[in-house]
Amino acid sequence: MTAWSYYIATLTVYFGVNVLSALSLNLQFGFAGVVNFGYILFQAVGAYIAAVVVLGPSSAFQQYVFGARLPFGVALLLATLAGAVLSLLIGLFSLRNIRRDYQAAILLIISLMATQVVQGYVPLFNGSNGVTGVPRPLSSVPLSLQGYQWAYAGWVLLVAALAYALVTWLSRSPWGRALRALRDQEDAAAAIGLNVTALRLQVFVIGGALAGLSGGLLVEYIGAWSPDAWGYAETFVIFTALFVGGIGNYRGAVLGVLLVPIIFLELPRFLPQVGYPGLMDSMEWIAIGAIWMLCLYIRPQGIVPERRNRAARTAAADARPARESVEVA
Amino acid sequence: MGSTLVSAIGFGVVLASIIAIAAMGFTIQFGLTNVLNLSFGAVMTFAAFAAYLANRHGVGGWSGLGVGGAAGAALTLALGRGVFRPYARRGAHLFEMMMVTLGLSLIVNYAIQALSHNNIYQFVVLPSTPLHLGSILITHTQLIIVFIAIGVLIALISLLQLTKVGKALRAMAADPDLARACGIRTGRIVVLTWLLSGFLCGLAGVVYIINAQSVGYTTGQLFLPLVVAAAILGGAGSPLGAVAASLMMGIVTEIVAAFGSEAYSTVAGFGILVVVLLSRPGAVRGGETGHTQLTL
Repeated sequence: MTAWSYYIATLTVYFGVNVLSALSLNLQFGFAGVVNFGYILFQAVGAYIAAVVVLGPSSAFQQYVFGARLPFGVALLLATLAGAVLSLLIGLFSLRNIRRDYQAAILLIISLMATQVVQGYVPLFNGSNGVTGVPRPLSSVPLSLQGYQWAYAGWVLLVAALAYALVTWLSRSPWGRALRALRDQEDAAAAIGLNVTALRLQVFVIGGALAGLSGGLLVEYIGAWSPDAWGYAETFVIFTALFVGGIGNYRGAVLGVLLVPIIFLELPRFLPQVGYPGLMDSMEWIAIGAIWMLCLYIRPQGIVPERRNRAARTAAADARPARESVEVA
Repeated sequence: MGSTLVSAIGFGVVLASIIAIAAMGFTIQFGLTNVLNLSFGAVMTFAAFAAYLANRHGVGGWSGLGVGGAAGAALTLALGRGVFRPYARRGAHLFEMMMVTLGLSLIVNYAIQALSHNNIYQFVVLPSTPLHLGSILITHTQLIIVFIAIGVLIALISLLQLTKVGKALRAMAADPDLARACGIRTGRIVVLTWLLSGFLCGLAGVVYIINAQSVGYTTGQLFLPLVVAAAILGGAGSPLGAVAASLMMGIVTEIVAAFGSEAYSTVAGFGILVVVLLSRPGAVRGGETGHTQLTL
C-alpha cells in the first residue's frame, strides 16, 4: 500500500510539472502561434540552475557553474528567471519575421545543439553525468517519507493551479486578444498597430519563465538532472498532449497531459516486460509519433477545441474560410 | 600553429563533403516541394543501417554506397507518396507539413532504436591507411569521400543545367503552376525529386558511417542540424549554395575543434546559424525566392 501511495504521489508531481509545461506551450503555440520546438531546453536550464544554486560550491566529484547554497525558494525564483533570460536571448534572434516552419526548425536545432554543448563542455553542468544529490527542500521538516511526498505533490499542484490562473487571466486580457490576432491574421494585427515582434518575444519569455519554474520544481523532487532527462523528443510529448487535448484551450491542455504523458507513458510500467530492456521505451516513442501524426490527420483541433467568441463564430459562418490552395500534382 | 590550421582545414573539407552530399539532397527537395523535411536525418540513419546490414551479409566495401542510396531513395519516395501527399491533400500547409515530417522522424528514429537494440555497431569498410598531403594527414577513405562529394556536385549541376528533366525541375521550383501549364509532367518530376533527394540522403548516411566507422540510431539525427543549416544558408534549391555553405560550416567547425574543444565547435555551428538568420532574413522569409505553397 505504501508503494502505491508513493507511486501516486510521484505521478501527481509529474502531472503538475507537465501541466506547467503544457500551459507554457499552449500560451506560446495555442494563443500566439509561436512554435517552441526547443521547449525542453528552457525547462532544462531552470532545472540546472535550481540544482546548482543549492548544491554548494563545485567540487571534484561534480563540476558546475554558479555553485551556491541558497534556500529552495530562491532557487525556484532563479530557475524561473533563468528560463526567462534564456528565452529572451534565444527569442531575440529566432523570433524575427520568418516562416513559421523555419522558426520551429531553428528552435529544434538549438535544442539539439544545446544538448551537445552541455554533454561536451563538462565544467558547465557536469557533462553527460549531470548533477546529482540535489537536497530536497525543507528536508528537516518532521514528516514521514509518505507525508513528505504528498506535501511536495500538493505544493506542485498549487503552483500549477496558480500558473493556470495566471495564463487564463493573461489570455482573456487585451494582451491575450492581441496574441490571438497575431496568430490568426498577422498582417492585420500589424496593420492595426500591434508590435508583433514584441508580442511574440513577450509570450516567449513568459512561457520560458514557466518552463524554468517547471524544471526547478522537477529537479527539487527527483534530485538529479542530466542530458538524458531532456532529450529533444521530450518537447514532443507535451506537444502531443496539446494536440490530443486541444490547442488554444487550457482545459484541453490539462486533459491532454492526463491522457498522454501520465496514463500513456506510465501505464506500460504495469504491463509485463516484453523483449530486451529498453524495447518498451522505444515503442512508447513510436506510439507518441503515431498519435502525433494521427492527430494532425484526423483532428487537428484536438478533443476540446478552442472556444471562439460569438463575433468570431458569426464571422466564420458568414465567410467560409477559403484556404489557400494546395497543389497536388 | 600553421600546420594545425592546415590540417584542421583538411578535416573541415572532409566534414564539409559529408554535409554537402546530404545538404544537396535536402535543398533540391526543399526548393521544389517546399517541405521542410525533418525526417531527413531518420532516413539517413535508415540507409546507414541498410548499408551496415548489407556489409554484414557480404556486400563488400563501397557497394554499400549503392545499397544505402537505394534504401534512402525507396524510403523517401514511399514517405513522399504515402505520407506527405495525403496530408497535403487534406489541407496541410508548410507548417503542418513540417510537423508531419517531425512526427514521422520520431517514428522512424525510434523504430530503428528498437530494431538495433539501442546499440552502436562498428562499421569498417577499408582499413584506413594514412596519407600525407603536405602537412595534412588524411586517410584514403576520406580522400575518396571528398571525391564522391565533388562527383555528386558535378552530376547534380549537369542534371539541372544540361538535361530536359533538369530544366523541368528548375521550372517547377520557380513556379509550379506555370510549369504545369507549359505541359511539364509535374507528378513525375516530384517523384524524381523524392528519389534524387532520398538517394543523396542515403549516400550521405553511408559516407558518414564510413568516416565515423560506427553506426547507431542517433547517427542521422545528430547530423540533421548541420544539414538543415547548410541548406538554409545556401538558399533553398541551390546545390552550389549548399556546397558553399557546407564548406564554410565544415571548416569553421573543425578549426574551432582544433583550437578550442568539441563543445565549442558545436557552438560555432550554432553561431553560423545565427549569422544566417541575422544576415539573410530575406532568404528565410520565403517571399523572396517565389512560391510558398507545397508541391506534392
